[in-house]
Amino acid sequence: MKGKRGVPALAWGVFILIGTVLLPLAVRQYQLAMLTEVIVFALFAVSYNLLLGYAGLLSFGHAMFFGTGAYTVAILLNRVPGLSFYSAVTLSVMVTTVAGLIIGSLLLRHKGTPFALLTLAFNALFYAIATKWHSMTGGDDGLSIFRPEVNLGFTQFSISGITAFYYITLGTIGMVMLFCWYFTHTAMGQTVLLIRENEERMKFLGYNTNISRLILFVFTSFLAGLAGSFYALLFQFTSITAISIDMSTIVLMMVIIGGTGSFAGAIIGACVYIYLQDFLSDVTDRWPFIMGLIFIFMILYVPKGLSGLIESFIERLRECRHSPGKIEVSE
Amino acid sequence: MSEIPVFFLHGLVYAGLLFLVSSGLTIVFGMMNVLNLAHAAFYMLGAYFSYTVISVTGNFYLSLIICPLILFILGAFVERFLLRPVHVYGHVQELLLTFGVAYIITESVKWIWGNYPLGVNLSGFLVKTVNLFGLVYPVYRLFMFFCAVFIGLLLAVVLYKTRIGIIVRASVDDSEMVNALGVNVPLVFTGVFGFGAALSGFAGVIAGPLLTTYPGMAAEILVDAFVVIVIGGMGSLGGAIVASLMIGELQSFGALLIPKLSLALMYMLMAAVLVIRPSGLFGEEQ
Amino acid sequence: MAMQEPKDILKVKNLQKDFSGLKVLTGVDFAVKEGEKHAIIGPNGAGKTTLFNIISGKYRPSSGSIFFKGQDISRCPPHVLTRMKVSRSFQISNVFQELQVFENVRAGVRSNYGLRYHFLKRPGSIPEVNKRTEEILALVGLTEVKDTLARELSYGQQRALEIAISLSTDPELILLDEPTAGMTREETAEAVKMIEKVTANRTLIIIEHDMDVVFSLADTISVLHNGTILVSGTPEKIRRDQRVKDAYLGEEGD
Repeated sequence: MKGKRGVPALAWGVFILIGTVLLPLAVRQYQLAMLTEVIVFALFAVSYNLLLGYAGLLSFGHAMFFGTGAYTVAILLNRVPGLSFYSAVTLSVMVTTVAGLIIGSLLLRHKGTPFALLTLAFNALFYAIATKWHSMTGGDDGLSIFRPEVNLGFTQFSISGITAFYYITLGTIGMVMLFCWYFTHTAMGQTVLLIRENEERMKFLGYNTNISRLILFVFTSFLAGLAGSFYALLFQFTSITAISIDMSTIVLMMVIIGGTGSFAGAIIGACVYIYLQDFLSDVTDRWPFIMGLIFIFMILYVPKGLSGLIESFIERLRECRHSPGKIEVSE
Repeated sequence: MSEIPVFFLHGLVYAGLLFLVSSGLTIVFGMMNVLNLAHAAFYMLGAYFSYTVISVTGNFYLSLIICPLILFILGAFVERFLLRPVHVYGHVQELLLTFGVAYIITESVKWIWGNYPLGVNLSGFLVKTVNLFGLVYPVYRLFMFFCAVFIGLLLAVVLYKTRIGIIVRASVDDSEMVNALGVNVPLVFTGVFGFGAALSGFAGVIAGPLLTTYPGMAAEILVDAFVVIVIGGMGSLGGAIVASLMIGELQSFGALLIPKLSLALMYMLMAAVLVIRPSGLFGEEQ
Repeated sequence: MAMQEPKDILKVKNLQKDFSGLKVLTGVDFAVKEGEKHAIIGPNGAGKTTLFNIISGKYRPSSGSIFFKGQDISRCPPHVLTRMKVSRSFQISNVFQELQVFENVRAGVRSNYGLRYHFLKRPGSIPEVNKRTEEILALVGLTEVKDTLARELSYGQQRALEIAISLSTDPELILLDEPTAGMTREETAEAVKMIEKVTANRTLIIIEHDMDVVFSLADTISVLHNGTILVSGTPEKIRRDQRVKDAYLGEEGD
């Protein structure tokens, strides 16, 4: 997205920032919890979009990293006494990143359909392990956790209240997502796009495309693990749902609905999916069916997702403003 | 153990079922380069439609004829109006679409028939047992096996002795060439896709009375079908036959040795084959 | 004479390549000196592009070896060879269609400046990278269209971009695969001038069908026929060689 820098973007940014910071004053607990959930899934969706939208890798098993993050943080907090918030999260993310490295090294030699099938297979494996390893993971019962204190050295505070947790989530995940956005403009981010555009030429320009893909994959598993950790801490509970193929399906739907073509698409998709699901589930038990219909509709008729629609709309507005009534002369 | 022949026969029966499901899957993949993730959902629909037809008419044999027909139409519809428009967007979109179709079919089934297992009751000679070389064996399982063999032979005859069969085989090999020869390849695609769905649905009809009819049955056979086509080689019918026999016996004897051959284990088998020999044991080297 | 004899920068020894039974290269031997302008000509299907593909690392030879500055590079993958300063262009333009001309070239330039996988630095964050990109664009004559998308370029401009991208990694040895294919007389003349300019300090191996181009650029010509080098030598020697005339020299340019 070129040319989106400048005064209007900055104004928007500041507005959003102030809005999200002041939000807890305006909304109820329940809505705040849902908003926190949106932030967590926005990160999960962004990580998945980096895989699908930027690198062009279709994975049906991204929840294996989300779930690993969720379970690791839960297991750590249950078994290691006195672990502070950021220590637990950092360790959990490190474990997930290692998992990403191992899985990525194994799977990335394959492309397209075989790769997708392999991600499905390994997700099933992770799920089976989580279900069977009762002593560690609680099996079908899951694990419950208490949010530990945040220890920043100079200050220490509890985040058992949703407002405090909201701020911690907003701050931590917000910064990470900001970096993700920045990442898409860095050399590595561009390399990923270029490899997708023309892998052969990139090889002949000195790029080790296999390593590049692995680096990206590991990065996305890191992000998913972070999202998963916050997910477990938000609900103070983690179960096999977090590591299931269903969860992989959910993030896939979020990204398709939001659109794979832009960074904001994943965030929009997460927002829409969560609020839509909340709304629909009050109306009908059959909300998954409706989600499925929306999913297919998007694939058929709105391949660029909601973010694509919004972008076209903004383009159209801009054209109208610049040349009202004139005939568009294309260069 | 005197049970071994029984388990061997059970394996053959399941192999027959697997072949019916995976043959359509592998032909469609070989021809259109699309892995139809909804294929197992067609199988499930076959079982559910059959349940309804039998509930209404009481006639199993009628169901054997009607349900595959319905699935043929449904499959053709999916290919023509959902899959084909998406083809221009690329492989990823095609895969995603079939995934979406599978999802919707599963949710529809839960909606219409409920989220609990259904039982299909048969009558007549099908529920009897027969004396087979000293073994007492259920007639229905034999019936299933012979259905599979009959359909398999029919498939072989059509593919190797008819003009349409030649076109289909040629399209699996090189669809662009076939198109250049003036054949209406899109129509062939639609037809084959529909036929694959019909085969899968037929498998569902005959599976219903034996295995439970419930919303998870698609996922259950999907992984086995994947393993079959991965081992047999994507696009290879002969490979599908051999692989079906392997997996059929594996599942049958596996149940003897390991109480529940879990989904994950089968997935790992598929992963192992994909990693070690991606073209399958019988497929073409890429 | 006090002048030092230039060394062989590339040495190809008994290179063979089979593709599932089809023998494309049956034994290629030749050497290229540093700074030389070496043309490879031969009838269609003789295996010229395959030769390039093997030298540049895309394929592995079935047997035989390739030495670059004394090092055996027969089994090196493309990205390693590029980093060793071997570069190639493609017969059919292989550019980044959806990117601007400037970014097309910068992709290769930044590869040399440690900006391949950097998580923090942006592609344009090193001024040297941008400067170098501008220089290359100026050399090939694409400065005016640097902000145009690659797919909107004319055919001649695309071929120029193709060469520019090959230059972006600052190669010592550059392999150009039919750079003037499909060009008009004027475009070809321009291209030849440009190629002379950009390969002034580099070693060049060029595959060409246009004999005017070959004779104006090359110091040495090798004739590839039936998967092996028929004869190698100066343009005059090749011109007079009967075997070469028999093989195909009658087909003047295209």
